[in-house]
Amino acid sequence: MKILVTAKRVEDPESKIKVKPDGSGIVQEGLKYKINPFDEIGVEEGLRLAAKHGGEVVVVSIGTKDVQEQLRHALAMGATRAVWVNHAGALDQLGIAALLQKVVEKEKPDLVVLGKQSIDDDQNQVGQYLAEFLGWGQATFASKVESLESEAEKNKVPAVALTADGKAVRVVREVDNGLATLEVQLPAVVTTDLRLNQPRYASLPGIMKAKSKPIEELTPEKLGVDVTPRIQVLKMSAPPARKAGIKVPDVATLVEKLHNEAKVV
Amino acid sequence: MSAPRPNPLLSDRDVDFQLHEVQAVSRLFSLPDFADHSRDTVSLLLESTRRFARAELYPTYRAMDEAPPVFEHGRVRVHPALRALYAGMVDLGLLTATRPPEVGGQHLPLTVHAVASAYLMAGNLSAYGYLGLTLGAAHLLEVFGSPWVRDTFMTRLYRGEWTGTMALTEPQAGSSLADVKTRATPAPDGSWRIQGSKIFISGGDQDFTENVVHLTLARIEGAEGGTRGISLFAVPSRRPEGDALVPNDVSVAGVIHKIGWRGLPSLVLNYGEAGDCRGWLVGQPGRGLACMFQMMNEARIMVGLNGVATASVAYHEALAYARERPQGRPAWAKDASRPQSPIIEHADVRRMLLRQKAIVEGGLSLLLSASYQADLAGHAPDAATRERASRLLDLLTPIAKTFPAEKGFESNALALQIHGGYGYSSEYSPESWLRDQKLNSIHEGTTGIQGLDLLGRKVIAGEGAALRAFQEEVDATVERARAAGVEAAWCDALRGALDEAATLTMELAARGLAGEVEAMLRHSADFLELFSVLAVAWRWLDQAAAAREGLKRGADGQDFYEGKLAAAQYWFAVEVPRVALLAKLCRTAEDSYARMRPEWF
Ligand SMILES: Cc1cc2nc3c(=O)[nH]c(=O)nc-3n(C[C@H](O)[C@H](O)[C@H](O)COP(=O)(O)OP(=O)(O)OC[C@H]3O[C@@H](n4cnc5c(N)ncnc54)[C@H](O)[C@@H]3O)c2cc1C
Repeated sequence: MKILVTAKRVEDPESKIKVKPDGSGIVQEGLKYKINPFDEIGVEEGLRLAAKHGGEVVVVSIGTKDVQEQLRHALAMGATRAVWVNHAGALDQLGIAALLQKVVEKEKPDLVVLGKQSIDDDQNQVGQYLAEFLGWGQATFASKVESLESEAEKNKVPAVALTADGKAVRVVREVDNGLATLEVQLPAVVTTDLRLNQPRYASLPGIMKAKSKPIEELTPEKLGVDVTPRIQVLKMSAPPARKAGIKVPDVATLVEKLHNEAKVV
Repeated sequence: MSAPRPNPLLSDRDVDFQLHEVQAVSRLFSLPDFADHSRDTVSLLLESTRRFARAELYPTYRAMDEAPPVFEHGRVRVHPALRALYAGMVDLGLLTATRPPEVGGQHLPLTVHAVASAYLMAGNLSAYGYLGLTLGAAHLLEVFGSPWVRDTFMTRLYRGEWTGTMALTEPQAGSSLADVKTRATPAPDGSWRIQGSKIFISGGDQDFTENVVHLTLARIEGAEGGTRGISLFAVPSRRPEGDALVPNDVSVAGVIHKIGWRGLPSLVLNYGEAGDCRGWLVGQPGRGLACMFQMMNEARIMVGLNGVATASVAYHEALAYARERPQGRPAWAKDASRPQSPIIEHADVRRMLLRQKAIVEGGLSLLLSASYQADLAGHAPDAATRERASRLLDLLTPIAKTFPAEKGFESNALALQIHGGYGYSSEYSPESWLRDQKLNSIHEGTTGIQGLDLLGRKVIAGEGAALRAFQEEVDATVERARAAGVEAAWCDALRGALDEAATLTMELAARGLAGEVEAMLRHSADFLELFSVLAVAWRWLDQAAAAREGLKRGADGQDFYEGKLAAAQYWFAVEVPRVALLAKLCRTAEDSYARMRPEWF
């Protein structure tokens, strides 16, 4: 089984993120970066599937040379090799999906696993576009039936299950009122939710092995994709600071204020 | 129990600074043994390790403190979380990381391993304890074990299948290992029958691996008295017989009720009560202590690191608390209608925080310098560099072990103090770290023993070669600091303290040569403290230099560098002047306690 997974480089939520005074973006200086946590879950799921059914996990990332850090991270976790689409500058979700489509056509995986969204822009679009462009089935928001504390999690069993004939995957997905189970014919696109698995920690032996694993370099030109964004970011601003709350002496005053000032009751 | 609030354990920014801006650890990567490593591999490893420490180890720390091991039916049951935690640490690769590829390692520099370990220790020192002990035991077997001993015991220890202990102490032989009484008599099959009793053996039993191997000091029947009659044996709790493991007549006689490190049992062990305990000789007969001492530097560095880590986690807890806890108002604004200020706005609270920062970050820097020398001592291609590094490491070891233990305890007390009355309650963690920290001035040689070691042995070793190497290191740092534009007064103060220490050492050594050994050693504790203040001042000047360089480069994080400079200023203002007093006590052999008779108390 060949599995393609993604590894986007995103700002580490532990660093303090500030918007530039002119609203043109965020202040990059001093920021730390990491692999998008949803993607990391995708890498883990791919590794578990490959461990169970045999095969390889190929990881792809798009961006400047810096994204090699995230590729190395996935390689250290156990991915077999990496594809780096070298591109500097803005990209929108359609451009990313178009690039991934070309990579998929080149690599011909049985399954593509992506994070359902990335924690920087929270768009939740790329997996769906990609499935559409490829004309493949999709199962988004893959989750797990058991809790993450379960024995199954401890034994690192994949939550995305290959059917007995090996031609489809069964995916439990999070929906508004619970869990739904889908079966999708392979090849397919799966996007991950947070409760799918707990990604492993890269080990020192894994990190050292990753050094000699190949990273193939591609470019949008080589892939023949025009990535001119169709979406423009006009302005960024921090959410307005919340005003301090007030204390009210009793319930009557609370109801009175909710009614007359907030006009919610 | 609710999850503890997140705690960074160590400052990531500080760790990067210390490794790359202060120490330039990448210089090590040019040594052939370390050539596979790079800044990238180091950062990936630290990323994994700190995440593991924060997400897995730290959340179990309180639970282990509250539910210490249980002794039942002759076996010790430890906290159930330890099984997965131990396996997790082994999976990270930290058990074998610094070892050569032949035994499954990756030749990671100790300097990097030390930092990674510090995160684990700060997260949950007891859990790390099993790893540290196993590492030490396996390393001993690797260096001194016969092929059979290595195959049988070392490989399983390094694979994380069994754990190890260091079994030295007996009731009558704590500081004085010359008095070890456990006996070994030859058995026909080439092994030895062991009989005796050990106390305080940490990790001596647990229920998450199937076996424990005790690296045990014992005296071969008929051997001479004193340290030269002591040999080292590998004594498993269960010995291999054919394909099975059978009980090896090592029994747990009791669990010590401890005030800290409560996730790691310390036991009384009886060997050979039924006359059926086998051990296997490690190294030459009579060389047991020498073998142990070869590992002692590393063990003592681990203790020092533990001191730093335990002070660090409490410092970060206190820092977060001080930013949040509203209490009182600035001295100039007593108007009660004004909202209360967070206590970090009070200068005296910042005094306590800055002192902790100076101790924690100065201590970490000292430990990394010592580890750096250990890396050179073990891996530099030329013999002269190895020898110099090894002397320097010997000199730094008692300081690197003791400073974080003694000043770390003070730092842990300050963290508690910042929490006010809440700090005195066991609802908050600072009290438990304070309890944990106390052990570090006791095990692996008490502070008293370290003082004697430094003054009686280390500073005078090689006719002063160690001291000269230290002087060269300090000189190089002063030069760096002057070039970086660090305050001249600090540079001069460090030079002055160094000269004072060197002269004093000569005087005391001369006193020893003249046969006045008691007067030479009388203030060994003060001498050790003097050297600690000096060595940490050296580390703070180096950090100040790196901070100035960072500011000049316009590197981001100006706040970080300003904080470094303020901490350095603190050390030079508050601690370095004490060198003169301490030197005077040593020089004059001030005799208050020397004169004091036991019956006068
Ligand atoms: C929690 C814990 C875990 C431990 N784990 C282990 C372990 O895993 N393996 C192991 O082998 N041991 C272990 N130990 C034992 C530890 O190493 C000893 O406690 C330590 O070496 C001190 O020995 P002692 O307790 O007999 O104290 P003593 O040697 O009796 O010392 C008492 C006091 O006298 C002072 N003193 C003693 N001799 C001198 C001297 N010559 N000059 C000046 N002052 C002196 C000491 O500094 C100390 O203050 C552990 C101890 C504890 C508490």
